[in-house]
Amino acid sequence: MVDWVDVLVRSFVFLALLFFITKILGKKQISELSFFEYVSGITIGSVAGEAITGLEKNMFHGMLAIAIFGLVTLFADIITLKSKSLRDMVEGRATVFIKDGKVLEENLKKEKYTIDELSSLLRQKDIFRFADVEFAVLEPRGTISALLKRENRPLTPKDLNMKMPAEKEPQTIIMDGSIMDEALRSAGKSRGWLSTELEKLEVTLDNVFLGQVDSYGELTLDLYDDKIQVPSPSQRPLLLATLKKTQADLEIFSLETEDVQAKEMYKKNAKIVQQAIDKLTPYLSN
Amino acid sequence: MTIAANVKQCLSTIKGIEAQLSSLALNSVDEGAKDVFHTTMLTIVDVKKDLQTRVLELERLEPQYKSS
Repeated sequence: MVDWVDVLVRSFVFLALLFFITKILGKKQISELSFFEYVSGITIGSVAGEAITGLEKNMFHGMLAIAIFGLVTLFADIITLKSKSLRDMVEGRATVFIKDGKVLEENLKKEKYTIDELSSLLRQKDIFRFADVEFAVLEPRGTISALLKRENRPLTPKDLNMKMPAEKEPQTIIMDGSIMDEALRSAGKSRGWLSTELEKLEVTLDNVFLGQVDSYGELTLDLYDDKIQVPSPSQRPLLLATLKKTQADLEIFSLETEDVQAKEMYKKNAKIVQQAIDKLTPYLSN
Repeated sequence: MTIAANVKQCLSTIKGIEAQLSSLALNSVDEGAKDVFHTTMLTIVDVKKDLQTRVLELERLEPQYKSS
């Protein structure tokens, strides 16, 4: 066989083999979370490279090696699901580097990390001061995970005692001008609803590049023609404004009327509307 | 504008709010949001009823502003 034909055949064979091996091993292999997968990952890669271009050698030896590495990794993955001690041995354990805001020099030495490397890893997490860190561990993969001290963490609605409404994931229901029926079903909407919404916004389906519906059933579109302005959904903020206006109106009526009974009625209802506003504000403001 | 006309306008705004809340309750996916929209809609209905009686009273007091 001519050499280049040989390389051609080998390339395709190994491409297919590697594809299947990674398919079997799954996403875990790709993320290389444990060092076992890291090792098998590089080895499989270099064995394949060697077997493709090393024409004087038998191709099947390379395939055998890859199959063994793949199967052993798969086997290890299955066993480590069952046993914690084996998992610690095969996948490695995280090492604590900083605890209670103090650097643990012993552990640093054990993993052979210098203080420069530690600060470099922390800097990649946008942490420039050791003092800000409450707890940091070195993951088996070699990345660092750091927990900041309470006062240095980003502010969340919970810190402010704000009640946030639950929100479901938005569904992409139009891609490249075609309707995604499955996503449409998950959003609980029909084609009829979609065509009405599109008509309301005065756009045709062909012109839509991307269309998403959020958990309130509001449709956001991106068009091919970027010169056309699509109004962003504003139903909810508008509703909040209308509610506020109504509340103000009711209060004005209660001040204007001379009828005692009516005054009471207006006051009571103004209060009810105010309570409704308070309750709805998290849902209605964007 | 007279008071009666103002109250009528407010009444129709409230009707609009009720309709929008009910449509939001139907269109939302999240159960919690659905529930909040629905219960608020029900309280708004009570407000609407009170205003409706008030409009009738005003029409009785000021028949000249009665809508045809």
